[in-house]
Amino acid sequence: MAGSLYSVQLMGVVFSLILIISVFFMVRARMIREKYSLVWFLIGLFTLVMSVFRNLIDWVSNLLGVYYAPSAFFAILIACAYLLLLSMSVSISGLKMQNKALSQELGLTKLKLEELEKKLKEGNAD
Amino acid sequence: MEQKKSLVVIPAYNEQNNILKVIWEIRQNIPDYDILVVNDCSKDGTSETARKAEGVKVVDLPCNLGIGGAVQTGFKYALAHGYDYMVQIDGDGQHIAKEVVKLADAMARTGSDMVIGSRFLDVRSFRTTWSRRLGIRLFGLLFRVLIRKKVTDSTSGFRLYNRKSIELLSKYYPDDYPEPDAIILLKKHGLEIGEVGVEMREREHGSSSITPLKSPYYMAKVILSIFFAYIRTRW
Repeated sequence: MAGSLYSVQLMGVVFSLILIISVFFMVRARMIREKYSLVWFLIGLFTLVMSVFRNLIDWVSNLLGVYYAPSAFFAILIACAYLLLLSMSVSISGLKMQNKALSQELGLTKLKLEELEKKLKEGNAD
Repeated sequence: MEQKKSLVVIPAYNEQNNILKVIWEIRQNIPDYDILVVNDCSKDGTSETARKAEGVKVVDLPCNLGIGGAVQTGFKYALAHGYDYMVQIDGDGQHIAKEVVKLADAMARTGSDMVIGSRFLDVRSFRTTWSRRLGIRLFGLLFRVLIRKKVTDSTSGFRLYNRKSIELLSKYYPDDYPEPDAIILLKKHGLEIGEVGVEMREREHGSSSITPLKSPYYMAKVILSIFFAYIRTRW
């Protein structure tokens, strides 16, 4: 089905493999959490499959009613990127909220600690 | 009657030149109020300077949270320490401590849960830029439509809160430019809002955080958050 390998296909395959392997190692090193790696694996797999089976994209674009096959490919990838960015915004908002609550708690706790220390010192001085 | 506990919260970011004057003025005019300075991770000596004042409590936030996060720290403190009233007085010296009496009178008279000190209600002293006035008029229109309430100075941070407001706002308080959305938030929870005319000073040091470049962003952000505060039912 793949026929003879074109260099653009080769590039696609290499790129996909690099992506999949680097995500794999980053998860292993705990640089990316499993939860967030999932979507990257899916993107890597998608580009890999699309590069190996050249005709697949023609079939997909036909199905979607897209005349120019590569644009179907781009559209799907852009959609993935948007989803990814959206999920990042959600994560950042969550982090920001937690960060705010933690900072406030820490500030208030430090004040409490200072007061306790002061009281303790006064107690010792008596 | 049991003595009511009142707290002044002073959010301060890089205010080492103003903070002692602000504290002194509070002590002179409303000596019954306890004072909490929330130092929002200033780069100057705000914290050290404020600590020179006897009896003033200082919270040092480990990261810069912006005005909303800083003031909310005050709400949390007030809640934890059983305060009945809390008033916000900005660290830049814009708000005049003796005007707090007007806020307290208005609260006692109207039974509101929050009283806003307005620059535009029966006071002629305050001049501000036309763009700010336009913004405030636009917000005023939004408030009339959304909560059927006339608010002449929705961006004023000079406010007195009672225990009910403190309880709510210690849980939910918007992050940046929090003042207009907080009005909707309180109203949506069935709390009453009052307004009273006060005088304010033109700032002596520093400049408004809202520069001409940022003001379209400010407007868009505030309108958006007013809208969401309005349609949100679960907080």
